[in-house]
Amino acid sequence: MDLAIETINLTKHYGNKVGCADICLRVPRGQIFGFLGSNGAGKSTLVKTLMGLLFPTSGEAWLLGKPLGDIGVRRKIGFLPENFRYHDWLTCRQLLDFHASLYGMSNDEKKRRIPQVIKQVGLSGHERQKIRTYSKGMQQRAGLACALLPDPDLLFLDEPTSALDPLGRRDVREILVELRAGGKTIFLNSHLLSEVEMICDTVAFIRQGTVIRQGTLDELRSAEINVEMRLEGLTEQIRGALAGLTLSLYIEGDTVLANVSKDEDIPLLAEAVILGGGRLYELNRKRSSLEEMFISMAQEGTNNAGHH
Amino acid sequence: MPAIIKITFREALGRKVVLISLILAAAFLGLYGTGVHFVAGDLARHPNPMLAQMIYPQLLSFGLYFGGFIVSFLAIFSAVGAISSEIESGIIQTIIPKPVRRDEIVLGKFLGTGLFLALYAALFFTVIYLLIHLKTGMELTGQWKALALFALQPVVLLAVTLCGSTVLPTIANGVVMFMLYAVSIIGGMVEQIGWLINNATLQQTGILASLIMPVDALYRKIVHLLMNPAANPLQALQQMGPFGSMSEPSVWMVVYAVLYVIFFAGMAVYLFGKRDI
Repeated sequence: MDLAIETINLTKHYGNKVGCADICLRVPRGQIFGFLGSNGAGKSTLVKTLMGLLFPTSGEAWLLGKPLGDIGVRRKIGFLPENFRYHDWLTCRQLLDFHASLYGMSNDEKKRRIPQVIKQVGLSGHERQKIRTYSKGMQQRAGLACALLPDPDLLFLDEPTSALDPLGRRDVREILVELRAGGKTIFLNSHLLSEVEMICDTVAFIRQGTVIRQGTLDELRSAEINVEMRLEGLTEQIRGALAGLTLSLYIEGDTVLANVSKDEDIPLLAEAVILGGGRLYELNRKRSSLEEMFISMAQEGTNNAGHH
Repeated sequence: MPAIIKITFREALGRKVVLISLILAAAFLGLYGTGVHFVAGDLARHPNPMLAQMIYPQLLSFGLYFGGFIVSFLAIFSAVGAISSEIESGIIQTIIPKPVRRDEIVLGKFLGTGLFLALYAALFFTVIYLLIHLKTGMELTGQWKALALFALQPVVLLAVTLCGSTVLPTIANGVVMFMLYAVSIIGGMVEQIGWLINNATLQQTGILASLIMPVDALYRKIVHLLMNPAANPLQALQQMGPFGSMSEPSVWMVVYAVLYVIFFAGMAVYLFGKRDI
């Protein structure tokens, strides 16, 4: 398989603290890859390591087939950092000219490419304004323009729509989908799960510095069987029985959300309620949304941490 | 690297550092020129020509000393956050992932800022030199070498400040650099007193301070070059006072200053090359 990103046991420690540990990722070319995790889970550490901002403690990684640290391959990589800040005393056009120079683009390439990316991110008519006069959303668009300058084969975007309004988000989604159609690979780090769900082909979840699940959205969804029940007379006995049958259990009022590993467990849930003296009004097998998967995995982590 | 040199230069222009520096230089040189003009006018009418021979060198060294002071301050302020402020703001995160090596980033900043500072210092020196030469008629020697050393002064400070900027936060770096600069200034004065009263301990303390930060030693060398003792029997009188140079720093001190620049520029490259951002 032609991989855009491959990491083997990539690890970064900050002294005794783990930034990320034994990360193994395989991202095929031509995909939008969503990288998900709670705050402090290690997402930015991984991105910064792949971008050469941090030096890995151990492990290996390849970007577009070249080992981490290869300077040449960076001509085909774009990056929009989470806390984007640019030389705000430059105009947008001057900023893009500077970044184009960093990419080693010729004057002819600059003349062709700079107006293209300005138009692509919707900043036409504003290119002669200084960056400092831009709104946060416009600055983020300018940052995206910098990342798109070399017509990158691989694009790393860390929370690329955090400062954008809904229209801006839609614009960025359209750009990303268009890039994918052109065979580009996009590594998307985002908390906006609905957005990730809309455009990502594969996702990985990171928790406490370790990737705990990775796959296509359908694969991940099929691995999760969620059941929602509405019942009355929930006793400690029923709660205990349900807890024994489920991977995770969430109770709010008369609604129980359970996560089981196989279909055969579903009738057992109903049985546990009835045998425990409860009255079951409704039982639905649900398809997990990305948000539910995210919360479930984050809670597993909290529970595990609690047990430790 | 050319892109980094260009943006560093452009930053000095865009952030009005050049403009403000030139306005302040004009203010300083205007004031200094006015002083030189009136002193020269009065001394020309004075019956004792010896007085002019004693005061003109003082005027020159005074101008060079405080001119060097201004240029040195500019060097520290220009470089104090060259790397650290970009790390603190996050700008560096948009530059490192580009196809440029980290050493190119550091050296580009060094060359861009160094060129600006050297040109600024050269301009400063030239105006002071011309003011003294044209207004007082004083015959000065070794002006080209002196100009080169005057331009080297801020580059020395730039190298060490840039190195500090790769490992220290901006404010901490500023504090350290001003203390280092103060060590150089005070060391130079102490050494000067040491030669006046012939105290070896004070002389050695001054030399040690020059090894820690050779900027003041360069200044003393400049003064010696311009007022060549062989050309003037009143040299001992001319070189007295805090801005004089009782003992000429050897050529090895100049070599040391150049090596000092290379070492700290190299250390800046090395330290930034290893640093996690």
